[in-house]
Amino acid sequence: MEYISLFVKSIFVDNMIFAYFLGMCSYLAVSKNVKTANGLGLAVIFVLLFTLPINWALNTYVLQPGALKWLSPKFAEVDLSFLSFIIFIAVIAAFVQLVEMIVEKYLPSLYSSLGIFLPLIAVNCAILGGSLFMQQRDFTGLGESVVYALGSGIGWYLAIVCLAAIREKLSYSNVPAPLKGIGITFITVGLMGMAFMIFMGIQL
Amino acid sequence: MNAKLKETILNPIFKGNPITVLVLGICSSLAVTVTLKGALVMALSVIVVTGISSLILSLLRNTIPGRVRIIVQLVVVAMMVILVDQILKSFEATYAIDKQLSVYIGLIITNCIVMGRIEAFALGNKPIPSLLDGLANGVGYGMILLIVAFFRELLGSGTLFGLRVLPAGYIPNNLVILPPFALILLGCIIWVQRACDKDLQEK
Amino acid sequence: MNTNSNIYTVIYTTVIVVVVAALLAFVSQSLKGKQDANEKAETISQMLTAAQYGTKAELDKLGNTAKLEKYAQEIEKALVIDMQGNVVRELEGIEVYGPKELKRQNYNIKGGTNQTGEAELPVFIFRNGNTVVPVYGAGLWGPIWGYLAFETGTATISGAYFDHESETAGLGSRIKDDPAFQQQFIGEQADFSSANVFEIVKGGAPVGEDGKSLKDNKIDAISGATMTSQGLDAAIDTWLGAYAKYFTKSEE
Repeated sequence: MEYISLFVKSIFVDNMIFAYFLGMCSYLAVSKNVKTANGLGLAVIFVLLFTLPINWALNTYVLQPGALKWLSPKFAEVDLSFLSFIIFIAVIAAFVQLVEMIVEKYLPSLYSSLGIFLPLIAVNCAILGGSLFMQQRDFTGLGESVVYALGSGIGWYLAIVCLAAIREKLSYSNVPAPLKGIGITFITVGLMGMAFMIFMGIQL
Repeated sequence: MNAKLKETILNPIFKGNPITVLVLGICSSLAVTVTLKGALVMALSVIVVTGISSLILSLLRNTIPGRVRIIVQLVVVAMMVILVDQILKSFEATYAIDKQLSVYIGLIITNCIVMGRIEAFALGNKPIPSLLDGLANGVGYGMILLIVAFFRELLGSGTLFGLRVLPAGYIPNNLVILPPFALILLGCIIWVQRACDKDLQEK
Repeated sequence: MNTNSNIYTVIYTTVIVVVVAALLAFVSQSLKGKQDANEKAETISQMLTAAQYGTKAELDKLGNTAKLEKYAQEIEKALVIDMQGNVVRELEGIEVYGPKELKRQNYNIKGGTNQTGEAELPVFIFRNGNTVVPVYGAGLWGPIWGYLAFETGTATISGAYFDHESETAGLGSRIKDDPAFQQQFIGEQADFSSANVFEIVKGGAPVGEDGKSLKDNKIDAISGATMTSQGLDAAIDTWLGAYAKYFTKSEE
């Protein structure tokens, strides 16, 4: 039950795009049509789903103050949390690069549709943000971090597909010339953000 | 100064502005523009970080293996930011500055401007132009940040740099300090910029 | 040179990682002493602010040494208690609890996998009749912590100071930067008998006939910073909850 509420919460109430405004750059840049948005969205879910639990394990068993206790009681005082930023980033970048290489080698058709988005994801703040939120909220188990990763990934996916659909429609509308393209997109996202605020007060 | 260098410096500030034209670094520009002071601190740090990391990675550019370039870039940028943070934290005189800055450390590392300029420019150019490109992009970014922060602080709190400007009877508009308004404001800035410069308009 | 060969890639990555890790570890180790001294002085000035020895800006004009001296002069007794309210030991000299120690104790209070031992809760009793206790928790983006001062022996709050690592400038960061928010706490009563020891209410705390906030255990949240306000509320509840037995005992 707890998992379900965390899952729903991370999709709607704590939506990465509309509640925290994380991962905006690729969100705005790759939402011109639904097909590519779909590809990037899936890639984000995939990367979040793996990097977040990896980072959770690193955080729990290596980085936190006292986390090295399992090695030897001598290490109970060791605090490596100053390294968490760089380690999280390295894990994400390494994972993204690894996936890129594997997909390129074994699944060339998937690579051609997904490939160009993978490098973009390494700098997607939503991915690092997910890991930092995980660290800060002290998830007590691997299960929680997997559910949270899946939920926030789906939330991001949902947001980018929605925007892409709106932008496809918008391209047939009569928008003032200077606002065409990215200008009207900013305003659209602003309005979508306001709409999503209705979820803010929901207690689950 | 030759024409090409001049182009390198001026382009990011207007025609190739990282925020309004290249659409980079949006997350941080929403988060730090509630107050002018925060925007200024962030702008200065980004100028320094993009400049220096472009320089370092441009020096390394011929040695970086293509397959791991993203890791190398991120590690170098993150290392630099953390180093600066650690050093500032160590001196009594700079400790107060660091307390202001540490809020933005994470935002600077993941700021797409830094990575974007390294990928697009520093990896293919000599160190000096790369340094200038990094600095100029920082300036272009900071400029937009300050414009947005000016309106958000003025309308959202009735103050500028923390000093009261609007009369005490002004009721602060809470919508302005929420992130969606920053997006709408950015949309309007793009509108103005593209109305002035027709070359930038999208078909 | 072929920069795309496997061996080159592996060696290059290893070298970069080793160099970066060594550099960071070296810098962090060699500067640690100085950083700790700065942090300690900062923690002391935050506690002195909460205990009404001046505003934060005034106290920050003093140098690090002067802050430490002032603390040594003004502290009457510093104790460590456990969650049953029993005194475990007295703190000797200048030993304070900054955010890093508070984080460790926060795990101990909440229990679970990260627990490093029995919770050690510090209590600082100052000569001007104020007792300072810390609080610690999670805001929107990162940790938030602070110091609450009580009139010694009562549940009446006499001062507060909060700090944060990375709350949004101008919104969540007002828990630190806005003296008006911190002054709201003065005169409020913590309710140690309930689980909601203290409440930060969104949409306005109840007001009395004079239009001022009642001296109960409720104050106004910061508008536009719902998550930070909720985080601070939870942090205060958790920590004051842990101190409840100590405070109920000393009131008797």
